Amino acid sequence: MPVKNQIILLLVVLLAVSIDSTWAGQMEDDSALASATDQSEVDWTELDEDDQELEVWDPLEPFNRSMFWFNDKLYFYLLKPVAKSYRFVAPEPARESVSNFFHNLATPVRFLNCLLQGKGHDAASELALFMINTTFGIVGLFDLTPDDMVKPDAEDFGQTLGRYGTSTGFYLVLPVFGPSNARDAVGLVADSLTHPVPSPFYLKMKPLEEAGIQTYDRVNELSLDKDTYESIKKDELDPYLFIRNAFMQKRAAKVEK
Amino acid sequence: MIIWSKKVLLIVFGCLVFGVPQAICATSPLEQVRVAVDQVIEVLRQGELQGEARRKVLSKLLRSRFDFYIMSQRTLGQHWKKATEQEQDEFVRLYSELLEASYIGKIEAYTDETVDFNSEKIDGIRAVVATVVHSNNTDIPIDYSMVKKGDDWFVYDVVVEDISLIKNYRSSYGEIVRKEGYAGLFERMRKKIAELHEQPVGAREKT
Repeated sequence: MPVKNQIILLLVVLLAVSIDSTWAGQMEDDSALASATDQSEVDWTELDEDDQELEVWDPLEPFNRSMFWFNDKLYFYLLKPVAKSYRFVAPEPARESVSNFFHNLATPVRFLNCLLQGKGHDAASELALFMINTTFGIVGLFDLTPDDMVKPDAEDFGQTLGRYGTSTGFYLVLPVFGPSNARDAVGLVADSLTHPVPSPFYLKMKPLEEAGIQTYDRVNELSLDKDTYESIKKDELDPYLFIRNAFMQKRAAKVEK
Repeated sequence: MIIWSKKVLLIVFGCLVFGVPQAICATSPLEQVRVAVDQVIEVLRQGELQGEARRKVLSKLLRSRFDFYIMSQRTLGQHWKKATEQEQDEFVRLYSELLEASYIGKIEAYTDETVDFNSEKIDGIRAVVATVVHSNNTDIPIDYSMVKKGDDWFVYDVVVEDISLIKNYRSSYGEIVRKEGYAGLFERMRKKIAELHEQPVGAREKT
């Protein structure tokens, strides 16, 4: 009985599939027709109203391109090889922990900018995470953020300025630091006052120690990165233009959040 | 078993007789993205196909779900209208090939990422499907902008971590067309496509 049933089922399904595929063929034809009407209704060359095109103002393009070239060489000839050897000697969980540590260390910057932007809830989250991760997470080596908690978006002073209406100004590629703009470069300087490592107010590190620690942070992050820059260089017609636009889109979205 | 098969029979029968497959089988944009992504992951995971054969299968899957024509119009914007028909056709051809090559290059590096399909927002013939790709300890949000044609939904933009692919290309391709014209753009695109095809299959380092 069940066998017979199954055979019938199989036959019916086969029949259905064969008919369905002929239908699918017809539907394709239909959709070709429908698409013609759809496309005449919508002008696809226009972006939507709420979807503003990002025109990047780049008066310093020749300078920026040379900085871009410099950073490219720095990446391929120094940072990346170092990150690779480091990746080889340090296991991934250890590098994750280092990354957690630096993230936790930078809490003052994010906390302050949450406050400046009036994001009380996020500021509270930053503070709570800092206390838990610094103590139970052993100076931040372990990230104990609960699974059901959404981590607050990382705020910085560039975003704070943006939130109060400062426009980005011209695009700027900084040596070593990479893509930026007039507004975010100012933000970077402001944040360096509150970040424990470069801050002149507490810890008070020597310039060389500072540079060492920041380079280590950077190399550690690179060791965890899956060749993002390589894939951009490989895929894009002009990596400079791609990164310029991607950076500006990303910053605009972060200011919105 | 019998109860189950009866149910299935009923549905299949219903589909056949009342012609409701479009109601039941014509699915939401989210479902269509899910099916497409699952198919891609399946091809990558089972590892039966390799090299060129696999690329062909992936290419077919992509082309059945992406609308490269609309993507081309959106990317060129005002330049599209000024282009001759031949230029438009050539652009669509090169652009699809380029996007396909770079997309396949990326997904071939697939290891054991999982994808969550979170939500869909439908607005007339357009929709946005929000997904998150979980890779190691990082989550990458990827949104698909889709357009409805007949009963199917097609992707016309991909937004990765708040960066719209089309808006990005709109700005960079626009600049290249302005400075170098279509001849310059096509030249660059052909060169890039050739480069991408020379790449060995699935060459990416693991962290």
